[in-house]
Amino acid sequence: MLQVTKAEDVIDHGLSLGADFAELFVERSLTNAISTLSNQVQSVESGIDFGIGVRLVFGSKVLYGYTNKTEADELKRIMGELAAMDLRDPRVLMQAFDYSAPVEHHPAHRILSADADVDSKVAYLMAADAAARASSNLISQTRGACRQKEQRIEIFNSEGLHTTDARNYVRATLTAIAADGQDQATGMWSDGGLLGWEIKEQVDPKKTGDEAARQALVNLSAKACPSGRMPVVIGNGFGGVIFHEACGHLLETTSVAKKASVFHDKMGEMIAHEAVSAVDDGTMANEWGSINIDDEGMQTQNTQLIKDGRLTSFLVDRLGAEQTGFERTGSGRRESYKYAPASRMRNTFIEAGDAEFDDMISSIDRGIYAAQMGGGSVQPGTGEFNFAVTEGYYIENGKIQYPVKAATLISTGPAVLKEISMVGKDFSLACGMCGSVSGAVPTSVGQATLKVDEILVGGQA
Amino acid sequence: MGIASQAEQILDRVRAAGAEGDLIIDQGEALSLKAKDGALEEHKVTSSQVFGLRVIKDHRVGTAYSEAADGESLAALVDQALLNASYAAVEAHEKILTNALKLETQDAQLSPDDSTSVAEKIELALAIEARLAAKPMVKNVPYNGVQDSVGERRVYSTTGLEARSKARMMHCYAYALIESGDKNAMEGIGQAARRFVELDPDRLVDQAYQNTFDILHGAAIPSGKYDVIFDEEILPSLFQVFSMMFSGKSAKDGVNPMRDKLGEQIADSKLTVRDLPLDTDGFGYALFDGEGTPAQALCLIQDGALSSLIHNSMTASYFNSASTGHGTRGPRSTLGVGVHQLEIDAGTADDAALQAGEYLVVTDLSGLHSGANPISGEFSFGASGYLCRDGARVQPVRGITVAGNFYELLRRIQLVGSVQHWNWERSAKMPSIRFTDLSVSG
Repeated sequence: MLQVTKAEDVIDHGLSLGADFAELFVERSLTNAISTLSNQVQSVESGIDFGIGVRLVFGSKVLYGYTNKTEADELKRIMGELAAMDLRDPRVLMQAFDYSAPVEHHPAHRILSADADVDSKVAYLMAADAAARASSNLISQTRGACRQKEQRIEIFNSEGLHTTDARNYVRATLTAIAADGQDQATGMWSDGGLLGWEIKEQVDPKKTGDEAARQALVNLSAKACPSGRMPVVIGNGFGGVIFHEACGHLLETTSVAKKASVFHDKMGEMIAHEAVSAVDDGTMANEWGSINIDDEGMQTQNTQLIKDGRLTSFLVDRLGAEQTGFERTGSGRRESYKYAPASRMRNTFIEAGDAEFDDMISSIDRGIYAAQMGGGSVQPGTGEFNFAVTEGYYIENGKIQYPVKAATLISTGPAVLKEISMVGKDFSLACGMCGSVSGAVPTSVGQATLKVDEILVGGQA
Repeated sequence: MGIASQAEQILDRVRAAGAEGDLIIDQGEALSLKAKDGALEEHKVTSSQVFGLRVIKDHRVGTAYSEAADGESLAALVDQALLNASYAAVEAHEKILTNALKLETQDAQLSPDDSTSVAEKIELALAIEARLAAKPMVKNVPYNGVQDSVGERRVYSTTGLEARSKARMMHCYAYALIESGDKNAMEGIGQAARRFVELDPDRLVDQAYQNTFDILHGAAIPSGKYDVIFDEEILPSLFQVFSMMFSGKSAKDGVNPMRDKLGEQIADSKLTVRDLPLDTDGFGYALFDGEGTPAQALCLIQDGALSSLIHNSMTASYFNSASTGHGTRGPRSTLGVGVHQLEIDAGTADDAALQAGEYLVVTDLSGLHSGANPISGEFSFGASGYLCRDGARVQPVRGITVAGNFYELLRRIQLVGSVQHWNWERSAKMPSIRFTDLSVSG
């Protein structure tokens, strides 16, 4: 996408300003988004994202800029403005580019640049809508969305790296709204992956519609949720968002190097209950959070974060490796050319255990079963987090009693890791978008159903 | 080729296809600085532009955008928007405005020249971090920064509209991580101004430190019902989360719970809410909306009664009324509606009345989006703040949740304070409001 001679000229200019390291990240992405409202197409949108990210490193200082223009003069102007306060004699010589293409672990076939497949996607969303509305006359409306993206990147750096990659993402979502008089409730189901529209051969619109409608109907009949500290059983799949937010972010060197993570000095120590082992794996074929190479050009890895409760690795990008001394883990990621890369998660999950679901429920006198989790947030410095329960049930005397609504779980990462006492067998992954310093990147979260012995539940009862 | 010529070429191609259209061109330049341990951690220089086109042909709407500005990409932009329109359902109410207005904001007021050097801005970023880090018990200042951004928007249409706005915003922010024994806390604050000299780093550092230090030894309070005052940062956030209640688009889509309540009492009679886009003291100032309709003041809730929803031209047509100048559209987004800058009228309660007896001041809410359901009004948030009695803080509070229904909460307004406060981003101006009987879990 960028002429090699131009890239060479610009990077050489960066080094001539005294930078220790210079990098160009070139991106051209196509996007297509279809929205439906019940059985009508509401909008079809498409776009071209194009830009070049410029990174200069002087010692421990990172300078970053970007532009939508491709002229060498504009790229050099940005470099000049970035380095204005740090100009010095050249320190390093540029290495000649040695092009290497990554091994393709995530093949995609029906990609956006070939065909947006709008008719087929609309048919999928219509089928999901029909299934949702057929399940009950209380389903008053659905909202469908199908987004596809083809991201092509090219990376050059002063150490001679020159590589390219293409990432194809697709995700389809249906939200169902159930209404009974003035009461309304929602349910949502989503499928996605790092592949093309061939995903439609793997997913079932009826299941999508049924599941969205089921959740909405459960929530419509839900009662107020009890409050207080109590045991909580968290469902599989997207339930893993708690580990992602409460612990995963604290293992990124973005937080660790700043000592803004409570785990920054805990390498090798027991930080979780011995029932907990967790990984961050970028290699899983066609999974939503997978990559071939990270956004610094390094091949991705499967990284064991916690083994039997003991901290075994952080998530390390290039800068994090320099700041902490830990080896890079291929975790440098960014949303687009607009962001400098940072250490980020890929497919992050707690590994399956051997507990039975019924044993978890029956072990609880008074608690909550959080079958589906929604979003949340975490404060890395303290590890404090909050998460919404989007489908929850009250447990009493070892039995699930009735659905509850509007519940929030709050705790801290270190505390909840030590309260996970049982991990089940029903492991699954779910798609999400993770927002952090380098923008929103696709990540998967996952776990088997697990039991947390005590957590603060915020409800209205 | 200049921007105006590129716009004309694009719109000519739209006309040639027998369609109508409007084009948004956003351009911006920004500098972002962050400090860490006495040195710059981030120094970011950016320039950007994006073209966003909406076309309407045979009552079908299509949109597309491009960050690439070469002729081939801009031609593809038009073709893609037309193709997208061909898939859309017929939408009789969405039209390109017929106005041929020429609108332009005053640069001297909203985007003043500023000769502050990069070196001075860097010095400020380093000083903020250093001064905050030097305070007692501060372990570090993990989040801090100084930013200077100038954004310019142009809107053109096939019917002759030419609207241009330009605004500058300088802001700085700092968050301190304090540790003492096994306790830690992180809080912070920001400031926004149009000129560098209007930033006050000493006040920023003192506020960020005080916010963090004061909450450090916070603890949960017993579960129960409390009177609550959300502080000037949190109250606007809460209204923003539930701003769908004013949305004409959500009403058209059938999901706004207030859709049939115009003229009805939906809140305590002490509450009057307005949208004031022409208040130049705020950074939500807008001369025109996303369609190029001139923005105007609008009363949303008058003495507790819902007096208006916000409309763009499409939702206004659907409800057979006039646009209120609240159309939102960016280069990458379709037509929606949104408030510009909410203001709540000052009430009559003085501090003594507001602060009588026991009440909880909430200074932070977590999970604002994930824990809220704007359709039903239900919410459950993590919270921190201070338990107070007769104007004095009794204890800092952390590790609690507050839960309830926002639309019911609007009916449980006990008092509205007599002084309005801007939030630090200067996007909303509201007085203190004391709500009764909010569920707290500790």
